[in-house]
Amino acid sequence: MAGPPADWTRAPVAFGRRAVPQLFGELMRPEAEVRLRALASLCGLMRDPERVYQAVRGGFLEQLKVLFVDEDPSVRTKTCELLHLMTSHSISRQALLSSSLLHPLALLMDDPSSSCRRSLLLVLNSLALLPEGAEALLTLVPKLMQKLRQVMEEEVEVEEVLLLSTITSCSRLDALPALACDAVLLVGGRLSHLSPNIRREASAALMALSACEEGRRRVCEEALLPAVVELLQDGDVAVQANAAGVLMYTGVITTGKQRCLDLNVIPMLLDLVTRDQEQQEERSRKALIMFSLRALTTLAEAPLGRRLLLEQLPLLVRRSEAAEEDLDIRRAAQTAVLINKQRRQTETDMIPYSP
Amino acid sequence: KMTFVSRVQRDPNGNYIYSSRPRPVENRSGYGKPPPEQTHSTYGNIMFDPRVVRGNTYAQRILPIAAQSDPDEVQRQQEIRRRNIARKRSREQSRTRTPEAAQGRKHIDVQTECYLEELSDITVAKDIACQTDSFLDRPASPLFIPAKSGKDVGTQIEEGELFDFDTEVQPVLEVLVGKVIEQSLLEVMEEEELAYLRTQQRVFEERRNNELAEVMRLQEQDRRRTEEKERRMAQQKEALKKEKEVAEKIAVRAYTQEYLSGLLPTVFTSLRSHGYFFDPVQNDIETNFMPWLMDEVNNSLERRNTARTLLDNIIYDVVQKRQEMFKETQ
Repeated sequence: MAGPPADWTRAPVAFGRRAVPQLFGELMRPEAEVRLRALASLCGLMRDPERVYQAVRGGFLEQLKVLFVDEDPSVRTKTCELLHLMTSHSISRQALLSSSLLHPLALLMDDPSSSCRRSLLLVLNSLALLPEGAEALLTLVPKLMQKLRQVMEEEVEVEEVLLLSTITSCSRLDALPALACDAVLLVGGRLSHLSPNIRREASAALMALSACEEGRRRVCEEALLPAVVELLQDGDVAVQANAAGVLMYTGVITTGKQRCLDLNVIPMLLDLVTRDQEQQEERSRKALIMFSLRALTTLAEAPLGRRLLLEQLPLLVRRSEAAEEDLDIRRAAQTAVLINKQRRQTETDMIPYSP
Repeated sequence: KMTFVSRVQRDPNGNYIYSSRPRPVENRSGYGKPPPEQTHSTYGNIMFDPRVVRGNTYAQRILPIAAQSDPDEVQRQQEIRRRNIARKRSREQSRTRTPEAAQGRKHIDVQTECYLEELSDITVAKDIACQTDSFLDRPASPLFIPAKSGKDVGTQIEEGELFDFDTEVQPVLEVLVGKVIEQSLLEVMEEEELAYLRTQQRVFEERRNNELAEVMRLQEQDRRRTEEKERRMAQQKEALKKEKEVAEKIAVRAYTQEYLSGLLPTVFTSLRSHGYFFDPVQNDIETNFMPWLMDEVNNSLERRNTARTLLDNIIYDVVQKRQEMFKETQ
C-alpha cells in the first residue's frame, strides 16, 4: 500500500512472515520514537496467536531484556503491555518462565512510572495463574510483600489489587514464603477497606494463606476473626465467599473453633446457607454456600457447636436431599449432617481423658 | 649399384633393423620383360603408375589375412570368382541382340522422334556477357490496400458499460464483510473460550478449596484423635505403672513385716548377749568397783611383791656380804 501510514503512532508492518522479525529488528534502533512505534505495532500484531508463536519461536523475547532498562518510560510501559498480551498464550508463558527474563522484569517493580508498574503487575498476575508461573514467582514473594507494604501506604488501589491477587495465586501453591513476611497481619489490615476490590482480594489472600497450618495459627493469634466475621455480611458475594472460606479453614484447628463459637458465627452461617434465591444467583453463590457448609461441619466437631446445630438439623437434612441442588452442595450438607450425628466421637475427642 | 639404397642389419640387441633412403619408383617395362639397364631416366610418373591404388580405398577388397595360409580356401575363392565371371559372361552372351545386318547393308542409328535433332558431340555454346545497370533507387513499394470486401460495422463503448460498480463490488464486498465477520467471530469465540476457561478455573479453585477444607478437617480430626489416643494410652500406661508400684509396695511391706517380726526377738537377744541391756548397779559394780578393787588388790600385791623383792634383795645382800666375809676369812 503506497502513501503515508494511516496511524503515525505505529510503525509500518511488513507483509507475511517478515512482519515480526522486521519489527523486532527495529527495536534495536537507537531512536526512542522508532522503538515506541515498533512496540505499538507489535502490540497490535501479538493479538494473533500465529504471530505470538512466530515471535517466541524466533527467540525474539531475549531482545526485550534490553528494553526493560530503557530510559524512556513509555517504552518500558509498552514493553510490559506487549508481554501482558503475550502471556495470554501458553507458549509465551513457557518461554518467559524458562528464559532469564523474570529477574530483570521484577526489578521494574520499583520503576518511577506508575503505568509501567501497573503493566508489569498485570504480567506477573497472569503468570501467577499458571502453576509453574506461581512456582517461579515464589522466589519473588518477599519483594512483592515489600512492594505491597509500600503501596498500602501510598494507597494506590489498582496496584494493590494486582499485588494481592498475585500473592494469592502464589500462596495457593505454597503459603510459607508469604507467611514468613508477615502476610497475615498485612492482609488482615485491609479487610475492612472501603473499596470492594481490595476487600475481595484481601479476603481471597487470607483464604489462601489460611489453607496452611501456620497461616491458621497466625489468623487466630492476630485476632482477625472478628473482621472476617464482619465480612460475612458484606454486599459482594465474592467477599462473603472468601470470608466463609477463611472461617472454614480456620475452624479446622481447635483454637479457631473456639474463637468462632465465641463470636457466635453459627447463626450467620446458617442464614447464608438457607437463603433461597433464584437459579442464576444460586450459581454465583455456590461457592459461598459450599464454604459455609464446610465451616459449619468444622464447627460441629466442637460440643457447643454440635448442640447448636442439632437444633437446626432438619434444615441441613433438607438441603442435603433437595434434588435440584448441586452435587457438591449436597455432599457438603451430607457431611455436615453426618458429623452432627456422630455423637460419641465428636464429644470425646474434644474433652481430654482423665482417669 | 654404386650407392647403397637400403640395408638390413641387426642391432646390438638382436633386433631387426631396416633402413633405406628414399628413392623414386622405377617404371616397369611390362610383365615378363627384364628390367631396363638404365634406371635413372625412366622414372615413372607416380600418377600414371598402375601399381598405385586410386580412388576410395575403403571399399577395396581387403584380403583376408587368414585365408592366405589355407590353400583350400584360396582355391575355393578363386573358383567362386571364376564362376561369377563365367556367369556374367554367359549372361552377356545370352542377351538377345539385334540381328546382324543383311548383305550389303549397314545398321545405322536413326532418330525416331517427331522433331529431328542434330546429334553431335560438339555442344553449341555461345558466350553472352551481361552487365547490370548501376543501381537506381528502388521506389517505395505501394501500400497494399486490398479490395474492400464485406460489410462495415461500427461500435462505441459508452460510459459505465465496461465497469458496473455494483456488480463488480459485490464479490469484493462479500469477501471483505465475510472476512471481517469471520475475524470478529473468531475473536469473540476466543474471548468466550477464555472466559469459559477462567470460569472453569474458578470453579476448580472453589472445588479445590472445598475439598481441601474437608481434607484438612479430617486431617485435623485424625490428628486430634491420634493425639487423644496417645494421651489416653500414656495415661493408661501411667495408671498401670502406678498399680504395679502399689502392688510392689504391698508386697514389700508384707515381706518386711514378716522379716521384721522375727527380727525383734533376735535383736533383743543379740543385744542382750552383747551386753547392751544391763543392770546399772551391776554395771557400776563391774565397771567402777571391780577395777578399783582389782587395782587395790594389785597395789597391795605389788607392795607385797615389792616388799618381798626388797626382802630378797636384803637377803641376797646379806648373803653376799656373808659370802664375801666368808671368802675373806678363808
